[in-house]
Amino acid sequence: MISPAPLRLGLIERVRRSEFTLRQQLREETQPSLLFSSFKMAYHSPYRGAPHINAPPDQGFLWNIFQRVDKDRSGVISDSELQQALSNGTWTPFNPVTVRSIISMFDRENKGGVNFNEFAGVWKYITDWQNIFRTYDRDNSGFIDKNELKQALTGFGYRLSDQFYMTLIEKFDRQRKGQVAFDDFIQCCIVLQRLTDVFRRYDTDQDGWIQVSYEQYLSMVFNIV
Amino acid sequence: MGCSDSSPNGPPFRMTSIGGSVLNMSFHYGQGYPGGRNAQPGAPYGGSPYNAAHSASYGGATAPAGAPYAGYGAPGQGGPYGHAPYGGYGGHPHGGAAGHYGHAGNVPPGVNPEAYQWFHSVDADRSGFINHTELKQALVNSNWSTFNDETCLMMINMFDKTRSGRIDLFGFSALWDYMQRWRALFQQYDRDRSGSICGPELYQALAQMGYNLSPQFSQTLVQRHSFRGRPGIQLDRFIQVCTQLQSMTQVFRERDTAMTGHIRLSYEDFLSGAVTRLM
Repeated sequence: MISPAPLRLGLIERVRRSEFTLRQQLREETQPSLLFSSFKMAYHSPYRGAPHINAPPDQGFLWNIFQRVDKDRSGVISDSELQQALSNGTWTPFNPVTVRSIISMFDRENKGGVNFNEFAGVWKYITDWQNIFRTYDRDNSGFIDKNELKQALTGFGYRLSDQFYMTLIEKFDRQRKGQVAFDDFIQCCIVLQRLTDVFRRYDTDQDGWIQVSYEQYLSMVFNIV
Repeated sequence: MGCSDSSPNGPPFRMTSIGGSVLNMSFHYGQGYPGGRNAQPGAPYGGSPYNAAHSASYGGATAPAGAPYAGYGAPGQGGPYGHAPYGGYGGHPHGGAAGHYGHAGNVPPGVNPEAYQWFHSVDADRSGFINHTELKQALVNSNWSTFNDETCLMMINMFDKTRSGRIDLFGFSALWDYMQRWRALFQQYDRDRSGSICGPELYQALAQMGYNLSPQFSQTLVQRHSFRGRPGIQLDRFIQVCTQLQSMTQVFRERDTAMTGHIRLSYEDFLSGAVTRLM
């Protein structure tokens, strides 16, 4: 059944029953992610298979989605178009900062959006994150708490103090629940990865400390924040 | 000095109304914007500008429009400008501070009447709030490019007390004043009046704001943010760059207690400093 929740955002409002069935099949055949129709729908679906090698989604399937997300038919999906198409599984708009981060990652010409080819990358990127998030959100709440966040980041290889996890929760808990939603989780991971990468470049002896001048410091953080 | 740009002269930003008609806010050059003539950088803000003695090895301590916004988004502060109703945020003695506006029509106290008028046309969906998309649609640089997404997001987040990703009338009024001050500075530092700020102009601007940064640093910033290959930055990037610079300088200064211009940072301290100031 389609619950009311997924209907509120994005494309699903236009999805007819037949399409829904089609997607259901596609999902089972290819990839358990239907984020663009509704994160929540995919999220609560009975499909909870173990991660496997994902077959690339069918081009026609992607094209179909691309056209629906590209509301003004410009051939480029803008921030607001992508944001409207995405659902974080809660009743709030998808974090626009996350949307910007993702688009800027795949927007090769700095045109402020993604074309169809780039969109394929965006799709894969988000579905990959979705799979990861699901693994840690064991109670299917749509949020992960501090411990789950810690497990996730530890799994990625980060070694961080409890105090820093409090900082992260504080910062990325936009909904003030003491937990982190899917969209904010992505943003948290993007930021951590960027900062870690740049820190590593300066930490040439790998001792976890750097010494930097004022200008060096600014250069390190300017792109990220 | 002198950088040329093929973009036409014009006001550094305009607001567009929803119907697509563009309302030129008529901030044309030569209109006598504050500080333009005597090149007194602190002029628009009245009172003691940032003197060079302050700048030590790096600067920005007293940069324009500085203090109240530095560290925007710092955790747990519930918004960068503290207490409602936005009056005198930061306590800067700039002319026409919010909070000094009188009642005019239905304009609530503390709200800039001009901002009040604009609010309703920028609020395209009549929700009573402005999100970054609505803001982006309303703001245009002097070369008619729309404001970039990053700057719009940053500004919304700065004045969004509730982390809802949108601002109400009071937040918009504060944002309005904020943009006006940056606009005035932009015009002041756009010395050749090309409508954009090039590397050398940015270098001078930052130096006068009290930052001790190399010409190369400014050049890099401009190159990174130039619009379609033109050699300069528009108002949107100028606001973004300067705001980030304030915020990041603040982080650096907190750690450079000995004022040497160098800091030693652990990995986690580095992460915390940046994360807490994120947009």
